[in-house]
Amino acid sequence: MQLRSHTTAGLWFVLPAMLVVVALLLYPVLSSIFFSFTNRNLLKTVYAFVGAQNFLSVLNSRDFWNAFFTSIKWTAGSVLGQLVVGLLAALALERVPRFSGLYRTLLVIPWAFPAIVIAFSWRWILNDVYGFLPNLLSAFRITNGNVSFLADPQLVFAVALAINIWFGAPLFMINILAALKTVPRDQYEAAMIDGANLGQRFWYITVPHVRRVIGLLLILRTIWVFNNFELLFLITGGGPAGLTTTLPIHAYRTGWGLRQLGMASAITVLLLIFLLVAAALAFKLVSRWERTPAR
Amino acid sequence: MTRLLMNLRSYTVPYAFLSVLAVLAAFPLFWIVLSSIKSTPELANDPLSLWPSQPTLDHYRRVLFELGALTNLGNSLVISLSTTLLTIAISAPAAYGIVRFYPRVGQRLTQLLISTYMFPPILLAVPYTIIMISLGLSNTYFGLVLAYLSFSIPYAVWMLTAFYQTVPLEIEEAAYVDGAGRFRTFLSVASPIVLPGLVATAIYTFINAFNEFLFALLFINTSERMPIAVALYSLGGSEVLDWGAMMAASVVVVVPSIVFFLFIQKYIAAGLAEGSVK
Amino acid sequence: MSLRAYRPLTALALGAGLALSTFASGALAQDDLSGDLVFWSSFTQGPRAEYMQRMADKFTAVHPNVKISIETFSWNEFNTKWTTGLAAGQVPDISTALPNQVVEMIDVGALVPVDDVIDAIGRDRFAASALLEGQKDGNSYSLPVYSHAQVMWYRKDLLDAKGLAVPTTWAELRDAAIALNDPPNVYGLSVPLGTNDFMGTRYLNYYVQSAGSALIDASGRADLTSPAAIEGINFWVDLYKQVSPQGSINYNVLDQATLFYQGKTAFDFNSGFHIGGVAANTPDLLDDFAAAPLPRLKAGDPIYGGETANIALVAWAVGKHQAAAKAFLESLYEDADYIEFIHSVPGGMLPALSDISQQPAYQDNDLLKQFASSVAVIEQVIPLGSAIGMEDGPKIQAGIITSQAVIEQMFQDIILNGTPVETAAQAAEDKLNELFVAAGAVFTD
Repeated sequence: MQLRSHTTAGLWFVLPAMLVVVALLLYPVLSSIFFSFTNRNLLKTVYAFVGAQNFLSVLNSRDFWNAFFTSIKWTAGSVLGQLVVGLLAALALERVPRFSGLYRTLLVIPWAFPAIVIAFSWRWILNDVYGFLPNLLSAFRITNGNVSFLADPQLVFAVALAINIWFGAPLFMINILAALKTVPRDQYEAAMIDGANLGQRFWYITVPHVRRVIGLLLILRTIWVFNNFELLFLITGGGPAGLTTTLPIHAYRTGWGLRQLGMASAITVLLLIFLLVAAALAFKLVSRWERTPAR
Repeated sequence: MTRLLMNLRSYTVPYAFLSVLAVLAAFPLFWIVLSSIKSTPELANDPLSLWPSQPTLDHYRRVLFELGALTNLGNSLVISLSTTLLTIAISAPAAYGIVRFYPRVGQRLTQLLISTYMFPPILLAVPYTIIMISLGLSNTYFGLVLAYLSFSIPYAVWMLTAFYQTVPLEIEEAAYVDGAGRFRTFLSVASPIVLPGLVATAIYTFINAFNEFLFALLFINTSERMPIAVALYSLGGSEVLDWGAMMAASVVVVVPSIVFFLFIQKYIAAGLAEGSVK
Repeated sequence: MSLRAYRPLTALALGAGLALSTFASGALAQDDLSGDLVFWSSFTQGPRAEYMQRMADKFTAVHPNVKISIETFSWNEFNTKWTTGLAAGQVPDISTALPNQVVEMIDVGALVPVDDVIDAIGRDRFAASALLEGQKDGNSYSLPVYSHAQVMWYRKDLLDAKGLAVPTTWAELRDAAIALNDPPNVYGLSVPLGTNDFMGTRYLNYYVQSAGSALIDASGRADLTSPAAIEGINFWVDLYKQVSPQGSINYNVLDQATLFYQGKTAFDFNSGFHIGGVAANTPDLLDDFAAAPLPRLKAGDPIYGGETANIALVAWAVGKHQAAAKAFLESLYEDADYIEFIHSVPGGMLPALSDISQQPAYQDNDLLKQFASSVAVIEQVIPLGSAIGMEDGPKIQAGIITSQAVIEQMFQDIILNGTPVETAAQAAEDKLNELFVAAGAVFTD
């Protein structure tokens, strides 16, 4: 093929992007890995090598493991919730004959909110003295007095999770909706003629088509939620009593609160290793999905 | 008539479900707009009122004119537009190049770019600050835009690769035979075909840059240069907690975002649908 | 947010500077001050922000070769800014600072001594205890610019309605708060324990001070397990459960103060900033509240200094134009201008120069007159107190105890996880001591 033989020309096309990746991603990553073996303090420019000491301390620290499990709960809960709600919403939108445009427009709204506005809006609605929701529940005698959603240890994690699902479901909904439109209608009709019920039609026709498309989206979203610092930090600050402290927040506190940059770097290196392993496994799964023809 | 009603009944479940979701989705927006026009005493003493007894635009006046939110909005626009333009200018050729010249590398490269997402932004921040100081870029829009390229370019390249793959080779070959060079082909032949994809990617990049918080907080030092998201945060830390002003400021930030989002969401859906058919 | 007047005035200053510098330098031989100064100010809005900008412009008018850019951020952001800035080598020429931050800055060698400025203004005009907070090895690194102290604010109207006297001891406070507790209209008092601030530490410190003890003992170690501390922890945990809104477990100083400003708490603890806060939020309440000294442990105990804050100005070592920077700092203390500055938060900011409060120009302010007795209470306790942990002078431990939220986390642990008080206190004490050592503190036994 004539076009492909000129690979030197191709280099010019990709060079700028490659430069950006090397300068803006490779250097900082290497820099952080380097610092994880030192006792670098945020404020002092003099530091020393400490070998694997940071890693040992981190792996022995209860706070680290708490943050790790909180991160897992947070990511799994959020992504699953967003997927399920997004899927159900997309299916419902696909099904209704009228007003789907209006509904779709309304349902996309949360996606447009920046993290700081999400935090302010929900903290205002949930405020235990002036907020709408606690006062509403109290006025209707559903609760005894104003419940403090963000201060009650039983509720705070679930509430934060619900907010994250509120925010992230539209993304899945839109993508799944687009995927649903690629499913040929005649497959459903053929299946109905063959006697397949709703559940079977869903599992054997809808799911494979959608899976192919959103597999990568799922991975990206999972990584994003796992690494996200701002949303939870702005809503709860990681508290109370560390109940909503995820790994990024823990790393932030260590590096910028306690000023122990070396230790914080160690935390994120461990985080990175975990994600790389998890992502490698996930990719295998997704490429298997993509290679399976959707009949 | 009865047939219509019978049909509607089979749709009640999805309609009911969608209605509940729609209320949940839209309520916060409704509520912050409502709260932003309530007077301060009313906000404190009448939490359940659905309409202000004395609507006031004081909070907006304060936020826009005394506190300079208009300036901050302008900053956000400048930063986001620059990021978008640079991202597309770098990513589109890169995506095209991968598709046309490095197809085998294409798959691997995509995975590699995605793995760049794994590193948490919080830790990129300190090395970035150090680089920017030494290049004299701290507290400049250019420095911030560069930092934004680190996450917008990988994603844009990934998105655009899928789109460029849909361009039929025959069209490009025809152009080549007619004497168009590689770059001309890319620019005038391939790119117009994937225009919806380009637009979708540009919008996505713009929104992410507009809403970005952490780097903006750390890299911009002067309150006049702050983009709107960070300016909003500093409002929460100021001397007197003024929920009314915070609500007005929130509305000021989110309404353009929503309007823009809605205006182009059909592009996103269309663009993604096209790109998803590989 | 941006300062509206900033840009045109800077252009003016810049223009003036440029115009003047085109003349032969010999013509302006008197003025050898030059340089672009960066001033990080935590006065983000309102009269104080405008005041600083005016002073900067005024200075530039007199010294045309000096350009001053003011960058503002809140106290929370300031912490992030200077710590990242230092790591990257980007810090200002001058800035405001809280005493606990000053200690950390001195410890990493970020500041230059300002003894020359202090002497030029008049060393004996400053309170010795205020100067002490920024001193190390005989050098002064900080200039106090205003002071405030913590007192107890109470709602006269609510107490009168129930025929209660103003509490003078902790036990009386508890009884009064419980009597006045009427949620959700009014809470007795709110106990702020959020980890994004140091209110828990502050409140515990009041109690401990009333017992004649301290959170950091003479050797420099944290002391959360003394009888006074344990009693104090129990006291606040009990009050949280009895009279505080549940959400206060996450409160920072603003959430806390706003409740009082809007009339939702019967008692609160804060500085004279409350006067301005109520005036701005709920002017109807202005006649209904006043200040009293902090509650004592036993009836008849003397009044003690719970916590005094001397907000400071500092000059950074990295700055290249020390002479200009110091001259600007000095200019902020000229009588008429300084009084105007102090008036921007009447009662909240008390002058750092002792002779100012006698001057008629200072006394001529409506809010100051209305709250004269409350301000007198504050003035009485200012010399008695210090920043938390700095009873014996500046210590790096003082910065850490108020910035790491260890005590707040301890409170949250006790309340939410049911951890026994002694266990939690011991764990917190150990953690603090570890942090002190990691920061380079040396314990003197």
